[in-house]
Amino acid sequence: MVEFGAVSLEWGTLLLQVIIFVLLLIVVSKYATGPIASVLEKRRAHVENELATAERNHKESEKLLAEQRRLLDEARAESKAIIDRAAKQASDEASKIVAEAQAASERMKADASAELAREVEKAKLELREQMTGLSVLLASKIIEKELDEAAQKSTVDKFLAQVGDRL
Amino acid sequence: MGHHYTLRFELGGMVFDIATILMMVLTALLVFIFLFVMTRKLETGVPGAKQNAVEWIFDFVKNVTSGYMDHKKVMMMMTLGITLFLYIFIGNQLGVIANVTTVHKGEISESVMKMLTIAPTPEAEAKKRATVEHELGDKGAHVIWWKSPTATPSVTFGLALVVLLYSHYLGIKKSPGGWFKHVFLNPIHILEEFIIKPLTLPLRLFGNLFAKEIMIAFLLSGGILAAAPLFIWLGYSVFVGAIQAFIFLTLSMVYISQLVNDEH
Repeated sequence: MVEFGAVSLEWGTLLLQVIIFVLLLIVVSKYATGPIASVLEKRRAHVENELATAERNHKESEKLLAEQRRLLDEARAESKAIIDRAAKQASDEASKIVAEAQAASERMKADASAELAREVEKAKLELREQMTGLSVLLASKIIEKELDEAAQKSTVDKFLAQVGDRL
Repeated sequence: MGHHYTLRFELGGMVFDIATILMMVLTALLVFIFLFVMTRKLETGVPGAKQNAVEWIFDFVKNVTSGYMDHKKVMMMMTLGITLFLYIFIGNQLGVIANVTTVHKGEISESVMKMLTIAPTPEAEAKKRATVEHELGDKGAHVIWWKSPTATPSVTFGLALVVLLYSHYLGIKKSPGGWFKHVFLNPIHILEEFIIKPLTLPLRLFGNLFAKEIMIAFLLSGGILAAAPLFIWLGYSVFVGAIQAFIFLTLSMVYISQLVNDEH
């Protein structure tokens, strides 16, 4: 023991203080700071984990967004192609129909003119036959009346010339 | 103001101070009960009021320590830091909130007389005995039962011893050669490690708390006239108690860091 007036240092008290403090350290470490440290560490890990998850989700959503955007663009391009194709098909169809109609009308026109020519030909033929009959009839009548061939020749010729002109 | 005595006894060649030991045990129990109650049902998620308070203390000690060491070492120091800070803080405040002194007059038994007058030398003991006998017949001998444990040098030297031994243990554990070079190859360091640190660390705390106790005892003996200064002084004592706990904690961490940090 060391003593200066009212102040004294007792080795027994000092030793006991050391023992009590070390014991206190041990129980505090076991029952208080240990649990606090582990809880704080767990919380730190938890927060870190949450941050990592959020980051990952963010990346994931960005990826999905890009994917969606790409799909949308694709669909848009595809629909445009479909519309274009349909429009082209329609115009092709229309021009085909017009061409067909034109061809049909051409054909009909050709048919009609051929028919007409045939009819004209037929009429000419008939007329010629009739003319021949009439000529024969006329000739026989003239012959009956005056068999002056020489005198009648000019008349027949004139008549025939007239008929020929008309045909 | 007369002398104030404490009951002491001798065991195995060492003297033990009963009042101080009681206060030591009480302080240790309060620290433990406080921390134990505060750390029940800890939440990893959002902490409650209790946990917030204890986490605040944890962070406070961590921040003090972080100024001197890296994170891994700081986490090793948390138990020591928190216990040291709370023990000194609560010990300091115990002397402020109460004062238990018994006054004895007339005859006392020989064994109690022996416990009151125990001293390093027979002469000192005889002198003390004469004073006590005089006081017993006069105003009465004052025996203290309640005080700040930290107002006793035995306690502050004990705490400093734990801290300093621990710092040297860590230093040797880290690198025996480095520790030897740091401590012994520089005369200033020898002086610092073996005289300055072991004396200044405990005596600073003891001096402040002892002055506080003396002033409180003095103002208490001043009666009604000293009531206003007493209250001011008690308020100041609470402040000093907190500051000294903080200083002891900070210096402990500085001293430990000097021995465990890498040389620059």
